Amino acid sequence: MSEPAKRITDIGPPPYEKFLHPLIKKNYGKWLYHERPAPGVLCHISETGDKLYTVRAATPRLLSIQTIRMFADLADKYSGGYLRFTSRNNVEFLLDNPDNIEPLKKELLAAGFLVGGTNNSISNIVHTQGWIHCHSAATDASGIVKAVMDALHDHFTESKLPAKLRIALACCLNMCGAVHCSDIAILGVHRKPPKIKRDVLSKVCEIPTLISSCPTGAIRPATFEGKPSVEVIEEQCMYCANCYTVCPAMTLNDPDNDGLSIWVGGKVSNARSAPRFSKLAVPFLPNNPPRWPEVVDAVVNIVDVYARNARKFERMGEWIDRIGWPRFFELTGIEFTRYHIDDFKHAGTTFARSAHLKF
Amino acid sequence: MAVPLETLVEEIYKMVVDLQGKKNVRAMSLTKAMIDKYGAGEVNKEDCKHAIRQLIDSGRCVYGYYGGESFITIPRKEEAASG
Amino acid sequence: MGDDTKSNTKLLDELEKGPWPSFVTEMKKAAETNPMAKDLLGQLELSYEERIGHWKHGGIVGVMGYGGGVIGRYSDVPEKFPNVAHFHTLRINHPSGWFYTSEALRKLCDIWERHGSGLTNMHGSTGDIIFLGTKTNELEPVFQELTQAGFDLGGSGSVLRTPSCCVGQARCEWACYDTMATCDSLTRAYQDEIHRPAFPYKFKIKCSGCANDCVAAIARADLSVIGTWKDDIQQDDAAVSEYAAAGLDIQKDVCDHCPTKCMQWDGKKLAINNRECVRCMHCINVMPKALKPGKEKGATLLIGAKAPIMQGALLSSVLIPFVPAAELLDTIKELVSRIWDFWSEYGNNRERVGELIQRIGMPAFLDAIGLDPVPEMVTAPRDNPYIFFQTKEDGQETK
Ligand code: SF4
Ligand code: SF4
Ligand code: SF4
Ligand code: SF4
Repeated sequence: MSEPAKRITDIGPPPYEKFLHPLIKKNYGKWLYHERPAPGVLCHISETGDKLYTVRAATPRLLSIQTIRMFADLADKYSGGYLRFTSRNNVEFLLDNPDNIEPLKKELLAAGFLVGGTNNSISNIVHTQGWIHCHSAATDASGIVKAVMDALHDHFTESKLPAKLRIALACCLNMCGAVHCSDIAILGVHRKPPKIKRDVLSKVCEIPTLISSCPTGAIRPATFEGKPSVEVIEEQCMYCANCYTVCPAMTLNDPDNDGLSIWVGGKVSNARSAPRFSKLAVPFLPNNPPRWPEVVDAVVNIVDVYARNARKFERMGEWIDRIGWPRFFELTGIEFTRYHIDDFKHAGTTFARSAHLKF
Repeated sequence: MAVPLETLVEEIYKMVVDLQGKKNVRAMSLTKAMIDKYGAGEVNKEDCKHAIRQLIDSGRCVYGYYGGESFITIPRKEEAASG
Repeated sequence: MGDDTKSNTKLLDELEKGPWPSFVTEMKKAAETNPMAKDLLGQLELSYEERIGHWKHGGIVGVMGYGGGVIGRYSDVPEKFPNVAHFHTLRINHPSGWFYTSEALRKLCDIWERHGSGLTNMHGSTGDIIFLGTKTNELEPVFQELTQAGFDLGGSGSVLRTPSCCVGQARCEWACYDTMATCDSLTRAYQDEIHRPAFPYKFKIKCSGCANDCVAAIARADLSVIGTWKDDIQQDDAAVSEYAAAGLDIQKDVCDHCPTKCMQWDGKKLAINNRECVRCMHCINVMPKALKPGKEKGATLLIGAKAPIMQGALLSSVLIPFVPAAELLDTIKELVSRIWDFWSEYGNNRERVGELIQRIGMPAFLDAIGLDPVPEMVTAPRDNPYIFFQTKEDGQETK
């Protein structure tokens, strides 16, 4: 180690005030309303009369330092060096001069970053790490997101849906992010309990730790060729990969049995109806890289049927509330199966317990 | 406080060593064990927190982390090199 | 391995086609100068060929003194891709609201160019800046350079995860409290809880300025702070008429969507029965010039959201219906200290606070943290008769 600089800890993030555009500092808490001059462009108007323009562009979430530097250069050129990222991985440039909007948009588009994501559009897909970085991923994340958004990109650059539509993707049941409350959620699933590499297990894993790692108590001690080992009570396994996390001999990843499921009608916002979970639409689709055509088709179909049938302001779940689930399955052509009927704890809450039926 | 910090540090260290490989022990379990051992009047949560901090900052103990759950353990050579 | 990245990524190349910005292009940009990024590309191509991941978890890497902020990762094919044999990720605490200057971003890029893969996520699910992948021996140097530059690591493991918030008053007219200041103050107050694991499992705090809940607090935060107001919606009748004149169908687009049907429009005048308004934000979202949250602003505190692992997903539920904005920070601090005390002591390993409440029951949880039951906590009183009546020591029944 070169100069032993004093080790600094526990300083927390840099103070955000340092990073605020002077116009934002001046009008902090004074915004009156906003307008949407064009897709991907917002104009916030303050009680002081000041106007702040935001230009929003999609990013793939996974960004190289080269691209971040390019964003920094664009910010210097057009927005006084001020920019931010959104909770859905878009980048936003904060401008005080409306004349800069068009040239900035042009440069972003030329560099391959679509402008949009505002109002009743499909914004960027919130997603997880997938094969790029996670050990328990049942599928990739970025690749599916790319393929799905390629197919839906005009819903990002234009605002033509009845309401906003939020898509999210998680590559295993751990669901990093608020995937389970999305209009459309794409979820990677394992479908088989871990296969135990018995020959190496006792060498690479601590058995007590392994046994206690299983949240459902599905792993119990056993012996294999005279050595301590484990076995899995298969009915108790819910494929969470905790065991694989502590012990690489508990292999869960499986090219043929891993795949994707699709869930619909969740929301986080309280606007109109209360927040709610997404519900199962498609129990299983195969893992088919590099472009996952089955998943793309299924998502596009759901979006199209929704766009054709929902009324203004109706989010996916609100539209389904109105038409009913039987009609949702009919309109989308998705098959209703035994997997759609809940059989986990407290399952009855989703049963139809009235004679209110639509035909 | 009746139990000197150094004693607490050593006792906690001993417990971490004993449980190594058997059970992932978290800060609260160590704290509870010390309070059980010496009595609530003799040690408190803050004392234990300081003792644990000392073990961690000196590098005698480290935090481990699996599947979202953290625990305290002794340093060992890097994980997952085999398998 | 091989030298020519281009010919080696036949499947991934397919993902450079199409209009949406491509993560593969990003990886290739980094791979031009960075051997880690290059091997990452190679290993990912292998995953695409085999339809299987190639990572192993590693539990004991981190920076000295911290129990969080680094996610250990190892390749299970290190002989093929030696540069990602270790590929640990750092979580870096983002500034509130994810605002940056170009200068700050360049500083981060320079550090990551020297010490890691040159790949990032802006940002990870929890909100942190993610530095994607480096070797064990780079962790301490990158940490030191980060802190010199004014950045610190965020949380991972059984800690307070990096709190996050919506833009709030920085750029949103609807924010009912200062989300960024609240988030920032909490983050600074709880550095120890973020860096040194002492909880049974993770704890998340998320701050949204209004019920639109742009950071999904209600779906994923153990403590969800959601802005609201207590008095009447601020209404500008002239502006309402302007919307009507501009063609907005106030009956159909506003009143008919009001969840409590508390709005009436007679073609000239909009009347809101504020006593029945549930502060859902719909009418305000549709007519931002005419309607605004009331003047008596603050937040609702809700408890217990989580994703499905282990016992099924939960949404947060109301704990304190309204805290005035001026008292918010102190109330949150007092509340979390009581919650953490109880949960740290009685929570099982890997038990989120929402699951603890399910196990012991909300009334017992309220007793434990010293809160009185209020009707805003439920959508309806219980409908089963299995009441466990309690008696106090003096023989009187408790409420
Ligand atoms: S959702 Fe699962 S596989 Fe995907 S990043 Fe999160 S924990 Fe990993
Ligand atoms: S995958 Fe999860 S539930 Fe199944 S055995 Fe492993 S730890 Fe247990
Ligand atoms: S949560 Fe509400 S206050 Fe915060 S940014 Fe979204 S709309 Fe604005
Ligand atoms: S905020 Fe929601 S509940 Fe209240 S008046 Fe407006 S639409 Fe109705």
